[in-house]
Amino acid sequence: MKLRVAEEPGEREVELLAREGTHLRARIDGREVSAEFDALAPGGVVTLSIDGRRFRIASARRKDTILVAVGPRTFSFIREEEGSRRRARGLAAAEITAPMPGKVLRILVTEGDAVVAGQALVVLEAMKMETALAAESEAVVKRVLVAPGQMVDHGARLIELSPPTANPSARESGPPGS
Amino acid sequence: MPKRQIRKLLIANRGEIAIRVIRTARVMGIRTVAVYSEADARSAHVAAADEARPIGPAEAAKSYLNIDAIMGAVRDSGADAVHPGYGFLSERAEFAQAAEEAGIIFVGPPGKVLAQLGDKIAARNLAAAARVPVVPGLEAIEPSAARDFAARIGLPLLVKAAAGGGGRGMRVVESLEGLEAALQAASREANAAFGDGRVFLERYLARPRHIEVQILGDEHGDLVALGERDCSIQRRHQKVIEESPAPGLSDTTRAAMVDAALRLARAAQYVNAGTVEFLVDGEQFYFLEVNTRLQVEHPISEIRFGCDLVAEQLKMAMGQKVRAPGTPRGCAIECRVYAEDARHGFRPATGTVVDLRVPAGPGVRFDTHLVAGAEIGAFYDGLLGKLICSGADREQARGRMLAAFDELAILGVTNTAAFLRDAVASERFARADLSTRFIDELFSDPLRHDQAESDAALIAAALAAQAPVREAENGSRAAATRSPWAELGGFELWRRQ
Repeated sequence: MKLRVAEEPGEREVELLAREGTHLRARIDGREVSAEFDALAPGGVVTLSIDGRRFRIASARRKDTILVAVGPRTFSFIREEEGSRRRARGLAAAEITAPMPGKVLRILVTEGDAVVAGQALVVLEAMKMETALAAESEAVVKRVLVAPGQMVDHGARLIELSPPTANPSARESGPPGS
Repeated sequence: MPKRQIRKLLIANRGEIAIRVIRTARVMGIRTVAVYSEADARSAHVAAADEARPIGPAEAAKSYLNIDAIMGAVRDSGADAVHPGYGFLSERAEFAQAAEEAGIIFVGPPGKVLAQLGDKIAARNLAAAARVPVVPGLEAIEPSAARDFAARIGLPLLVKAAAGGGGRGMRVVESLEGLEAALQAASREANAAFGDGRVFLERYLARPRHIEVQILGDEHGDLVALGERDCSIQRRHQKVIEESPAPGLSDTTRAAMVDAALRLARAAQYVNAGTVEFLVDGEQFYFLEVNTRLQVEHPISEIRFGCDLVAEQLKMAMGQKVRAPGTPRGCAIECRVYAEDARHGFRPATGTVVDLRVPAGPGVRFDTHLVAGAEIGAFYDGLLGKLICSGADREQARGRMLAAFDELAILGVTNTAAFLRDAVASERFARADLSTRFIDELFSDPLRHDQAESDAALIAAALAAQAPVREAENGSRAAATRSPWAELGGFELWRRQ
């Protein structure tokens, strides 16, 4: 099964191979991993032991997302097979969306601009703080979908990106100030 | 016999602090009134109080910051006192004055004290007059005067909001070219957050510690200090990990800071609980500001001094005399868990709490308003809970904190628990190398990738993906978010295979 970590580039692949009693074998990104699980730990907490370390696990499914807590760390996975989002080739993300509801304060780019990974594109105000949203990879600004002052909801599309132009000089220019 | 009796207390706040205040009031036999915005109608603080009153729409400016709406709720409920908590209206002189004029006890300093200390410029001047050291600074912020000051004092500089707090309206200026833009951005942010866009400039200390002194005063003029707290670990100038005592601080400096705090409090005719904050550079300390309210991190002082600061606040408000604090014991550490994504610049997160596992054990306290099903929106501060651990010494408190974090799980809302665990586990924290730069420095170390932990997450996800989901059958929300681990039948089936 192919899983994407929400808001992270790249894919992970995990396959459950076998389970005998409380023993479990899985293949993760080509490596074989064995684990012991305990479904009836005190308090109903499930534990997984890997490499002699015992992790407390909680998990839940919400729509296409699988939520997992390993100790205090939480993960949010999206099944790639479910094809929740098609991804443009060469782009970490084809669009910039609002990570929370808020107000668009400033748009820092215009359509047609070539941007580099980490470059701030739009500034949102939410929870009384300014948050700059940046490109995750090199790209070209295809469309700007919002205007300063506009209120946006969680997940609202703010900017559409297209893959970077195959111009080698743009690639070599690097992020500003580097 | 107290001078005045509080019989019914309205808590003009929400979240964990509203619940914290309600708990103490209940112990003291005081009835409680919660207030709530439309976004909070089903929040835990509403259920915790004896009664609750709506005060308006979700937007804080129209509810929790709306003095008229809150005073209306005070009147309607027949409350005889109001506790402001922290944040929101807690440091607003107009709110204290509105309560005073209505004959309602305000659990905090009088309006005139709030007005003087709440203005950071006036507070600085008062501190200087009380011979409390202050960081070199500039009040006027015309671009030319600011540039002259920068040339005289040197960079970097810090822009701060006169009405500020919680890091809002604050900017570090690293270059002269960035000065004007920083002044404007800070002023804009301060105006949005406090309705007051005045800002001022200070020398920026490169790697200071933030250490503060808890004070408590009564209306008879007596003042006591309840030790210090080190709150150096901050992101965006907002505290995230605090501890008491401040590790490595010399007794001489500690005593000098306590003296300075009491001198300033006396000069301000301070009443009720408050905190005098300092920046500390080596053994040199500078006055930062006075927080004229209960602090978020007050529990670590409560634990060391064996007291209940909300109870002390209520007693001071009823005209009782302050008592000399006992001898502090052991060490206490607090970690603030926020709805934020630590891997993406601590950007705010929202969501629904699908599952919640709360730690317990000796020396472990978790102050929270979270329950499974709670919605965390973008309207208010993203504090989800405070994990407070204590022990006979720092290492015991730290060990308990790490163990408690392993028991904590907040599923459904991206949060900083794992980041805090890693910070407390770090070698830098273990040797108490604390400064306000701690988080930047921690992130500059190569990030440790924990493969076993990530493997465990992937296996758990694969198992969860296999478990039956009933969403398709009845479409109910409860079923859609049901934990597959609860489906023990699934495990039974495997065993029979």
